[in-house]
Amino acid sequence: MESRETLHEKLNKANEVLLEQKETLHRTRGYLENVLENSRDMIFRADSEGVLVSFNPGGESILGYTWDDLSGREMKELAEDPHGFESLALDCIEKKEVVHAEIPFLHKTGRTIYCRVVLAPLTNSREDIIGMAGVCRDITAWRKFKQDLIRVDRLAEVGRIASGIVHELNNPVAVIGEISGWIGAVASDAEGLGEGDREEIKTSVRHIGEQTKRCRNITGQLLSFVRESKLSTTSLDAHELLRGTVDLLTPELKFTDVEIVYSFMEGPVFVNADKQLLEQVFVNFISNAVYAVKEKGDKRGRITLETYLDDTGGSPMVEIKISDTGVGISMKNQKSIYEYFFTTKPPGKGTGLGLPISRDIIKNLGGSISLESEPGEGTTFMIRLPVS
Amino acid sequence: MSEKSDIRVLLIDDEETLVEYLSKRLLREGYLVKATFSGEEAVEVANNDDFDVAVVDLKMPGMDGVETQKRLKKIQPFLQSIVLTGHGTIDTALESGKENAFKYLLKPIEYDNLVESINEAYEQKVQLQNARFKDEVEEIYRSGLGARGIKKAMKKLSKIYGIS
Repeated sequence: MESRETLHEKLNKANEVLLEQKETLHRTRGYLENVLENSRDMIFRADSEGVLVSFNPGGESILGYTWDDLSGREMKELAEDPHGFESLALDCIEKKEVVHAEIPFLHKTGRTIYCRVVLAPLTNSREDIIGMAGVCRDITAWRKFKQDLIRVDRLAEVGRIASGIVHELNNPVAVIGEISGWIGAVASDAEGLGEGDREEIKTSVRHIGEQTKRCRNITGQLLSFVRESKLSTTSLDAHELLRGTVDLLTPELKFTDVEIVYSFMEGPVFVNADKQLLEQVFVNFISNAVYAVKEKGDKRGRITLETYLDDTGGSPMVEIKISDTGVGISMKNQKSIYEYFFTTKPPGKGTGLGLPISRDIIKNLGGSISLESEPGEGTTFMIRLPVS
Repeated sequence: MSEKSDIRVLLIDDEETLVEYLSKRLLREGYLVKATFSGEEAVEVANNDDFDVAVVDLKMPGMDGVETQKRLKKIQPFLQSIVLTGHGTIDTALESGKENAFKYLLKPIEYDNLVESINEAYEQKVQLQNARFKDEVEEIYRSGLGARGIKKAMKKLSKIYGIS
């Protein structure tokens, strides 16, 4: 029999150990809670059935759900491919191993979130599996960045090839133009040629001349883009430039039943830009609008040019709206219109360069472009530029 | 404006078909045209024949346009050169031979534009040449040479100025 004293001592000792362990537990718990609370990664715990037991704030912000939304649900439901996630989880549990994978999840709004996932088995003190812990890092932006890099790299390559091709093309085009001029000169006073035939030849030669000029415009546009030209930035009146651009396009407008409506705010509005480049942007947008109206083939088409001042933000911006009553742009095409060489025009009519180049120009000026379009109703492009 | 048949044009471009059709067209309009396909060939030709205006492409294999134009000027000081430059090379062209060429034309050239430039270049050449010729003739008279001496000097001048 142990004495009462000894027993008391033992109890005290046990109590001490317990307190010590409680302290350790408290500290560990505090540490874990801090990690879970503050990590930007998505960290979760699921039971052996895959049902969520905990889900940290990092996860809430990555996928847009709150814990209330998720409590009691299975983790695999959040994955874009639930089966894929399930088989990964099974792997982890059956082999009692840490597993890695790249898994796409679905944000509450439906968009895809790519995560690098680490799943680890959780066991009790008897080494039985009681569930798993997952740490998921959102790599969506990184993936996009990587894809952009590849795209940019490819584009740069295309640019290099294109400028080479364009240089090579310029010469034969010039030769063709020269030969057509020669034919015209010969035909103008060739003997034994009926007047009808002479006119035919002259017209055809003139057409060849026009077409070679068009080729030059395309190559010229490409080269001016590829070439790193020095820009001369000055303060320009956007209204004046818009009106000037419409004048420039008068030949194109002559054969189209389209009305140009100006709805400018009062007085001039100045922006800092290179005149030629900004004019190129306006030409692109307005001639696209003309083309869209023509495509629709309505009797009375309308292109509206509007300007507004937006001084709600930090620095005042001018909004230039170019609206047409043309065919509009389908949702599918709206995604592609800024891609290089994307065009819906028939071969020879479009280069697929106008919009991407315009967007680059506007971006470089510190502005932005957005669009609204209703297929069959028309399109509105909005250019925002900082006021100088 | 002088008669076109007076104007002797030297074309220099390695793009042979272009030169061929350009000379055909100019010939048809009454210019005297010699077509060459390299700077070296042009210099050789210019050693034997006199020209008023040279139209020379900037970018050619071998001797380039600026160099060709400089050499031609040495052989025939009054010859006016029109240099054809491609996209983006006009700046370098201007730097390397600003004072020498009559004009730089951006390729692809418009035919009418070229013809106009050739005529202008010719006018320039004639003016410069006449002014200088007058000076030199006066110089000869002032020098107090005898009739034979003057005749000899004039003959020499005629050769220099390409007057036959």
